[in-house]
Amino acid sequence: MKMSSVNNRCSFLVGLILILPVFAAGQQKPVALRGGKLLTVSHGVIEHGVLILQDGKIAALGVENSVKIPKDARIVDVSGMTFYPGLIDSESNLGLTEIQAEGSTNDLIETSDEIMPHMHVYDAFHAESELIPVTRLNGITNAIVAPDSKDTLPGQDSFIQLAGKSGEEMLLVRDIAMPLNFTGDQRRNESWEKRKFPETRMGMAAQLRQAFLDAQDYAQHWADYEKKKNEAAGKTDEKDKKPPTPPKRDLKLEALLPYLEGKRPIVLAAEEANDLQTAVSLAREFNLKFVLNHISHSQSVLDYVAALKVPVIVGPIYEDPKPFERYDAVYSLPAQLSKRGVKIAFASFDAHNVRNLPYQAGFATAFGLPYDEALKAITLNPAEIWGMADKLGSLDVGKTANVVVANGDPLDVRTDVKKVFIAGEEIPMTSRQTRLRDQYSGQ
Amino acid sequence: MRRSLRRVLIVLSLSFVTAAIAQQAVPVAHNEVLIKNAVVMTVTHGVIQNGSVYIKDGKITAVGRDVTAPGSATVVDAGGKYLTPGIIDSHSHIALDDDVNEATSPVTPQMMMIDAFDYQDKAIYRGLAGGVTTSLLLHGSANVIGGQAVVIKHKYGLNRDAMLFPGAPRSIKFASGENPKRVYGSQGQLPSTRMGNFAVQREALVQAQEYMREWSDYDAKVKKGDKDASAPKRDLKLEALADVLRGKLLVQIHCYRADELLTEIAIGKEFGYKVRAFHHALEAYKVADRLAAENVGIATFSDWWGFKQEAWDAIPWNAVLSMRKGVRVAIKSDSEDFARRLNQEAAKTIRYGGATDDEALKMITLNAAWIIGVDDRVGSIDVGKDADLVLWDGYPLSSYGVPNKVFIDGDIYLDRSLPGFGMPHYREGE
Repeated sequence: MKMSSVNNRCSFLVGLILILPVFAAGQQKPVALRGGKLLTVSHGVIEHGVLILQDGKIAALGVENSVKIPKDARIVDVSGMTFYPGLIDSESNLGLTEIQAEGSTNDLIETSDEIMPHMHVYDAFHAESELIPVTRLNGITNAIVAPDSKDTLPGQDSFIQLAGKSGEEMLLVRDIAMPLNFTGDQRRNESWEKRKFPETRMGMAAQLRQAFLDAQDYAQHWADYEKKKNEAAGKTDEKDKKPPTPPKRDLKLEALLPYLEGKRPIVLAAEEANDLQTAVSLAREFNLKFVLNHISHSQSVLDYVAALKVPVIVGPIYEDPKPFERYDAVYSLPAQLSKRGVKIAFASFDAHNVRNLPYQAGFATAFGLPYDEALKAITLNPAEIWGMADKLGSLDVGKTANVVVANGDPLDVRTDVKKVFIAGEEIPMTSRQTRLRDQYSGQ
Repeated sequence: MRRSLRRVLIVLSLSFVTAAIAQQAVPVAHNEVLIKNAVVMTVTHGVIQNGSVYIKDGKITAVGRDVTAPGSATVVDAGGKYLTPGIIDSHSHIALDDDVNEATSPVTPQMMMIDAFDYQDKAIYRGLAGGVTTSLLLHGSANVIGGQAVVIKHKYGLNRDAMLFPGAPRSIKFASGENPKRVYGSQGQLPSTRMGNFAVQREALVQAQEYMREWSDYDAKVKKGDKDASAPKRDLKLEALADVLRGKLLVQIHCYRADELLTEIAIGKEFGYKVRAFHHALEAYKVADRLAAENVGIATFSDWWGFKQEAWDAIPWNAVLSMRKGVRVAIKSDSEDFARRLNQEAAKTIRYGGATDDEALKMITLNAAWIIGVDDRVGSIDVGKDADLVLWDGYPLSSYGVPNKVFIDGDIYLDRSLPGFGMPHYREGE
C-alpha cells in the first residue's frame, strides 16, 4: 500500500518528463525497394528482395515476386545494392555540440557538481545541428544522446531519430537511461591547488551512496505524505480532513527515483576490472537495473561479466590498450564478450564521427567477432537494449521504416550509402559537407 | 633568458653527440628472405597476383611472378595474402613523452625532436602492429615556427639509435592559424591574431637573412685575407632558420584554412624557400589547383572535422578532390589512435570521391614518403628499396585488413601469430 502510493506519485512525476514514442507519419506514398540484397538482421539475408514502406512503417518484405507491390507505390530499383535497417548508435553527443573547441557551441555537461541526475539532454538537444545530416548520410538513423562523462551522474540520456520536423519529433524517448560513470575520470583531482571532494574513488562511491540514500529517504517522505493525505481524506470529521503539508520537491532526488525503482536502466561505465566491480557492487546495493558501458580494460574478468547477464555497450574499441596489454586487447573485446554469450552493442562515444560507427563493428570482425553479431550490435541488439525492438533494429513487418540502401557491405569503409529512409521518408542525401563539396568541385 | 639559452645549448650539444652515435649504430641486416605466393601491391607498377619478393640484406632485390632465390633464403609462404609496402605516417607526435610543444616562445626552430624521442613508448609498437614502418615525429603546432622533426622506423624492441631512419632529410614544423594565436594570445602575448602569426614568421625570417648576411660578410673578409675579421656569434635559432632559407630543411606547415595556405606559399616565395607540405590542409580542396601548381603536398585527415572552427569546412572528399587537381596527397594520423589503422583511413578515399585502390594505398605509402623526403628509399615495392613490407590478413584497404607480419629492413618486427606482444625482437622487461 505504502509502496504503491510512492509509485503513483513517481509515475506522475515520470509522466511529466517522459513522452511516449511518437513516430513521424509523414510518408505520403508507399515506396517499394526492389531487387537488392536484403539484410533483415532478424531472419537472415534475402537475395533479390523487395521491401514495401508504407505510412512510415515496413508493410511487407520478401523475395521478389512473392510480395505484392501496392498500385500507387513509387518503385525504386535497388538491384546490385544492399539494404539493411537503420543503424543505432548506443552513445553519442549528437545535438549537444557543434564545434568542439568553441565553448559557446557546447552543452555537454554540468561539472559544478558530480551528482546531476536532473540534467536532461533533451533540454539542450539542438535538432538543427549540422552534424545530424552528416551522420545520417552514413545510415545511422537512431542514437542515444548522452551527456559527457566527467560527472559520476551527469544527467539522463535521450533516444533520438535522426530526422523529423523538430526536436520534439526527433526525441523518441526523452529520458531513456541514466549514465553512472565510474572510470576515475570523475575525480576532482586535476591539480593539487584545484582539488576538491571527491578527489578519490572512495569519495566518488561515498557521494553516490549518499545520493541514492537521500533519494530513498525522499521517496519515504513522499510516501508518508501520501499515506497521511489518504488517511485525512478518509476521515469523516471535517476538521480532520485537512491535508498534511507536502514535502518540498527536490528535482535532483526526484530524478533518481525511476532508477531506484528499476523502471529505467543505469548505464554503468567502468574501464578497468577494479572499477567495474566497485560500480557493480554499488548498483547492486541499490537494486539498480543496469547495462555496462566500455569495460575496455576488464579482459581479466570477462567470465564475471558474462555471469552478470547484462548487455555491454562496448568500446570504443579504438581505446588504446594499457602498456602491458597486447595491441589487440581492446579490438578483440567484442569477440571475447560475444563468445561468452554477452549481448553487445557498439557506440561511437562521439558526435562528429558517429558516421564511422559501422566500421568499428567491421573492424571487430577482423578480431574474431562473427559478422552477423557485428551487424546485430549496431541494429537489433541496441534496439533490444533500449527497449525499442518492437519498432527498430531489423527489417520486419510493422517496424518503423528506417532503411539504408548502400552499394555493398554496410560494415566496410569502402561502401557508399546511396539512400536513407527514416520513418518511410527518403532523406535528401545532402549535408553542409556535400554542399561544400559541390560548390568547390563545380558540380 | 641566459639560463634558458644555456639549457638549449646543452640539449643541443647532446643531440649532436647522439646523432653521431646513431650514424655508427645503423644495424647491418643479414637476412635473405623470399616471400612467395602473395598478392603484391607494388604502388608503382600495379598488383602482381601470385607474386614473390626476394629480400637480401634488408633491401628488396627482386619482385615479380617468377623470382628465384638461393636455397639459403628463408621462405615465407604468404598463402595468397596481400603484401603492401610498410605504411608511412607523415604526421605523428608519438614517442615524445608529452614533450611535443616547447610553447614558451612562438619561434623555436632550434628544438630537436630527437632530444625528446622516447624509443620505449608502446605507441611505436601499436603503430607497427597497424602496419606503420616509418613515422615523421613533428614538433607540435603551438609555435609559428616549431622545432626539427625526427624520422623513425618502428623497430620496436631495438635501442634508440637503431630506430632512427638513417640519412632521412631534416624537416621543420611551422604552424599557422588558431593554435599559435590561442597559445600566445591567451597569455597576452604576440601573436594573438593571424596577422600576428604571419608577422612573427616574417620577422624571424628577416633576422635569419641578416644573420646570413653577417656571416657572408665575415666569410668574404676572411677570403680577402682580413686577419682582424671577427666571426659573428653563433645563434642556433637563426642558424636553423638560415638552413630553411638555404633550402636545407623540408618545411612542413600546419595549416587549415584556404587563405592561409595561399599566404604561406606567398611568404615562402617572399623569402625564397619552398613549402614541402601542408599538414591537415582541410581546406585544400578550395585551392587545390594552386597547391598543385606549386608542387606542394598535403598530409591530411580522411574525414576528421568540426573539432575547431578552422576544421569546420573540412569535408571527407578533400583528399580525392585535391588529388584530382594534381596535388600529392597523404593521409596521416596526427594521433596514436589513427596511426594504428591508417589503412582504413586511406580506404575511406575510395568511398569519398572514388579513389582507385592504388591511389588510396599511395596516400599512406609513396606520397607520405615523398613528404618526408624518403621516397627514394621506401614507400613502394621496388627493387633497391628498403624491405619494409606488410603482409595482411584480410584486404588492406577495407574494414578488415589487419597486419599478419610486418617486415622492416627485411626483418620481422611483428608477427600476429606469435603469443604475447607478437614481437620476435622484444620481450617485456628487457
